[in-house]
Amino acid sequence: MSATINTSALPRRDNHGSGPIVLAAIIAITCLLLLAFQKLLWLVVPFLLALILYYFLYPPVRILIYRGMSRDAAASLVTLGFLALLFIVVVALTPWVAGQMANWQDTVERYAKGGLQLLDSSLRNIEAHWPTLARAHVADTTTARLVQGADSISDHLEPVAIGIMTWAPSLVLAPFLAFFFLRDGRRFQHFLSAAVPNAFFEKTLYLLHEIDRTLRAYFQGLINLTVLDTVTLAVGLWLLGIPGPLALGLICAVLAWVPYVGSILGGLLVVLVAATDFPDAPGMAYWAIALFGLVRLLDDFVYMPLTIGKSLELHPLVTVLMIFVGGAVAGVAGLMLVLPVLGVVTVIGETIGLIVTDPRLMARHRHALALRRAHASRDL
Amino acid sequence: MVNFFPTSKMPLRLERLHGLSLFVNLTPAELQIVDGLLHERDYLEGEVIFDEGEEGQAIYIIASGEVLISRHEAGTAVRAVQPAVDESRLLRRRHGDFGRVAQLGAGTFFGELALLDNSPRSAQARAASACQLIVFFRDDFVGLLDTHVRIASKISRQLACHLGTRMRNMALSVGAHHHLL
Repeated sequence: MSATINTSALPRRDNHGSGPIVLAAIIAITCLLLLAFQKLLWLVVPFLLALILYYFLYPPVRILIYRGMSRDAAASLVTLGFLALLFIVVVALTPWVAGQMANWQDTVERYAKGGLQLLDSSLRNIEAHWPTLARAHVADTTTARLVQGADSISDHLEPVAIGIMTWAPSLVLAPFLAFFFLRDGRRFQHFLSAAVPNAFFEKTLYLLHEIDRTLRAYFQGLINLTVLDTVTLAVGLWLLGIPGPLALGLICAVLAWVPYVGSILGGLLVVLVAATDFPDAPGMAYWAIALFGLVRLLDDFVYMPLTIGKSLELHPLVTVLMIFVGGAVAGVAGLMLVLPVLGVVTVIGETIGLIVTDPRLMARHRHALALRRAHASRDL
Repeated sequence: MVNFFPTSKMPLRLERLHGLSLFVNLTPAELQIVDGLLHERDYLEGEVIFDEGEEGQAIYIIASGEVLISRHEAGTAVRAVQPAVDESRLLRRRHGDFGRVAQLGAGTFFGELALLDNSPRSAQARAASACQLIVFFRDDFVGLLDTHVRIASKISRQLACHLGTRMRNMALSVGAHHHLL
């Protein structure tokens, strides 16, 4: 689900703005932003969630505005409706989650051991057919190392749980941020454009609309893609007879928001569940892997063009390189943030490149400045 | 004291918008919605608002002051590749009086074709005096067509009337008025 961003709709009357220097600046600024975002993760993650929520709630707000309601009232009504729905879901799920939390540590260990058993039996099967591997005791060595790691899982789980608890309050910010984006987004745009000199005004307005359009295409596409992935995986897992197909499908679809790594984690999760719940039927895990591969193919060749669209693309080489750079610079957060940040920085960078390298616009700006200076000092 | 029966008097800002020919048919509630989409810009005398050949993104409505619309004469090259223009012409152009098409006053609008398509500007617009302009961005107008059809249709009608009048005037000036009766 590694979605890419459109920059093709920029005003390209002159192409002298987007050269190698602009591209290098875009990449450098993206890396710096990712570094800064890593330090401010407690704010960036709720902000990102708020953006996703904003684009999720925007269509109903738009429908209410279409029916004659003011923007303020529509934003308030839709946000309140969402919070009410969230409250109902939380109240309904709390008893079940509390019940599960009691033995969550056992559950994680059980699934980890189920996965190890599957790996062990698979390696022993391979060793039976490849004597060289059997002589090297590949199965014994690998299993021993993994068992050692699995035994210490419980040591790692506690800090993870504490980390999640520390993060939870900042996530409460997301709906409030989304409400203000819905209500005041246009005012913010006016505020920004008012600070721009007259000579660059039209291009800046275009830029702001383009950023909004790019982010909307990305996040709404991402939401649609998540729904399609969830439904496909849930149907596949249900047909295989794996328990909790909808929840598993949803978790895998959300994990796939993190390019590449998320998909691998999702696949691993499904395989672990299949291997643990069906210990005597290793074929089930292989079927789960096949299903995951099929969904990946569907994702890349059918769902992505349908949702995020083929037109939304940076150069594939830049995209892949930037995903790796994002991961190296800011870890998992970098992997998640790199594409939207790169998309926005590209739109801004290319437009600024077009403006500052357009001699006529710069001349008009200098002329306007000279006029203003003369006007300010006319009676001195 | 609580005002239970508010008068229908519009705030000054909306009243000023209502006085502009493009929005003359809009109700106060509709004007309020449109007002949220408009931008205000101040220009000094001689400042270029947009250039001929530039990609148009917005329509400009004159709230106060005057704007000069001018165009290059046929046969002259674009300014970037025009080194051989004589001094007097350059001087006249610098004062915005080269290939003068019209001088527009408060309440009128220009650059309206940008709302309909993204073709290049057909003339240059320059502030003839210090002026305040209201800017209506094309994408906001397109959004209005989706969300507030009634308002957009009223604005479109005014736009069509304006373009019709201009076509009629042009036809009359070249003696082809029988086609437009």
